[in-house]
Amino acid sequence: MTKISMTAIGLLFVSTTLANAHDEKALMNAPAGEPYVKVSDVLPLPEFIPGLGTLFVDPATLPAGPFLAYDRDGRLSATVYMTPLDDLQNGVSFDGLNLGSHTVSSTDVYFNAGHPGVEKPHAHVVLFHDEGAKERLAE
Amino acid sequence: MNCTRRHALWLAGGTIAVCAVTRSSGAQTVTDVKMRGSARGEKVWFDPLGLSVTPGSTVRFTNRDPGNSHTVTAYHPKYFDRKRRIPAGAEPWDSDFLLPDEYFEVTLTVPGVYDYYCLPHEMAAMVGRIVVGTPADAGWEGLSEDQTDVSDQVLAALPSVEDIIANDAITRKDGS
Ligand SMILES: [Cu+2]
Repeated sequence: MTKISMTAIGLLFVSTTLANAHDEKALMNAPAGEPYVKVSDVLPLPEFIPGLGTLFVDPATLPAGPFLAYDRDGRLSATVYMTPLDDLQNGVSFDGLNLGSHTVSSTDVYFNAGHPGVEKPHAHVVLFHDEGAKERLAE
Repeated sequence: MNCTRRHALWLAGGTIAVCAVTRSSGAQTVTDVKMRGSARGEKVWFDPLGLSVTPGSTVRFTNRDPGNSHTVTAYHPKYFDRKRRIPAGAEPWDSDFLLPDEYFEVTLTVPGVYDYYCLPHEMAAMVGRIVVGTPADAGWEGLSEDQTDVSDQVLAALPSVEDIIANDAITRKDGS
């Protein structure tokens, strides 16, 4: 590999890192900007879902997400993925999914029977971004 | 006649919305069916899932699941091209999505067996059965014989007509 291409890769790496850092900051408070939409604006769901808070998602990433979960004060509290069980069983994988924040304090994984938007029975994978997040999203 | 109504019980300010439709003569009975779900949505169900009422009864379906929306939709070609599982003479209904604490009412006059489902949760076997009157009533139409349009899970979830008539209301076996 030549020196030039190594430098190019280095530059690419730096710029990608900066972009992520920038995006992450932008997502810390609701509303998450484009391409994210508030889930309750586009689907018949409550604005604040007990356990998940107020969700934003980029419709292009459905069903897996990430869904960005905000507490009642608009603070990013969790990143949620929704993966249909039959997709997983049929060999579909959901790789390289984005994160709302790179700080994760704990993770919950559980079954959901379905809801508007992701109607097939699926798993919720919930990455909480701080110690108090779960409590703030509870109600 | 079938009368259907959809209302938000609770408005943003917490006031109760009064049903705008004047009730016909006072003797009408209203029976409640709740749409329920576990806290994280692992389970969703109609409570009771089997119900026996007299012809002319009004059934009110209320979403009591704070984290999800549900519908109550009759199995009928008019809605989503499903096979009919209500009496031929009965008017089908679809509540559309009910957010938490919203409700929908249907008045059932034709005697027979009515099967219905929740649109986003049929795959989770969120279904119910209402028996109006008894086989002795004139015009009674019993159980749909179709086994092709609904899943085995749905057929297994529906209580038998005999059990419903004998018990008036049937809730899920796990007691919730
Ligand atoms: Cu439902």
